[in-house]
Amino acid sequence: MPEDSITQQESLAIIESMINKAKNRFSENGFLYLLWGWVILFCSLGQYALLFVFHSPWHWTVWLSTWLALIVQFIYIYRKRRVKRVTTYTEEILRYVWIAFVILLFLMGFIFGSKQSNPNGVINGSMLLAIYGMPTFLSGIILRFRGLVAGGISCWVLSLVAIYAPAQYQLLFVAAGVVIAWIIPGYLLRARYKQENA
Amino acid sequence: MLMFKDLDPILHSQLRLAVVSLLISVKKAEFTFIREKTNSTAGNLSVQINKLKEAGYIDVTKQFKDNYPQTICNITPKGIVAFEEYVKNLQSYLHQGP
Repeated sequence: MPEDSITQQESLAIIESMINKAKNRFSENGFLYLLWGWVILFCSLGQYALLFVFHSPWHWTVWLSTWLALIVQFIYIYRKRRVKRVTTYTEEILRYVWIAFVILLFLMGFIFGSKQSNPNGVINGSMLLAIYGMPTFLSGIILRFRGLVAGGISCWVLSLVAIYAPAQYQLLFVAAGVVIAWIIPGYLLRARYKQENA
Repeated sequence: MLMFKDLDPILHSQLRLAVVSLLISVKKAEFTFIREKTNSTAGNLSVQINKLKEAGYIDVTKQFKDNYPQTICNITPKGIVAFEEYVKNLQSYLHQGP
């Protein structure tokens, strides 16, 4: 077919088909949700056990494993970028949502982690859950993935409940939060990714 | 009788329209991705991409990744306006009937 002989209907069909081809790509495989979900779960339960079961003064050291997770994340992103052939607007927005989250997390860590406001060195579960809820909820909305929307809302509910819970249980609330908000949706995302990219 | 504007000849071509429709939906895409999605040959796609670039509808960046040349395309604001205009004109033609 000579290329300029397309009809208006054909034009419309081309536009529709190309937009659908770009739209239907689902590139979220859940890896980072699972990585961070398991790491935070390990850290919060680990610190709880060291602090309240073994009464170790080194209870906070479990959180050093987040640096290891950060290295894994950098390697993962570097490898993914090497094979990446397209960047969607969705991916771009999601990237900034999570960057904003990390900045907020560090700032809150400095503010609430200071010796004056937190003499015991135990994290404020309520605050952490309130922050976790934001990117989780937004990612769910952007990806149209209910598992993450529910996870984000659950974080906020747990955050409210944790305010009234004794300090000792804060870490357990964080553990519950990451299971609901990241680990479960992470496995659901992985299943969906495998199904759609099979 | 209503007057219709002529459809933009740069966009009113099968492959160029496909490329612009694809690029309007993403932030940026690599040449091989566009070739795969449009089912076109590298030679033809290369020619059409150059035409779109000359018209100022898309930006083409050439770079090296792991020692392999890579061509990345993205739509320009001028390309977005042209595409919107094309769709608007197309709609008025379609409403008029065959």
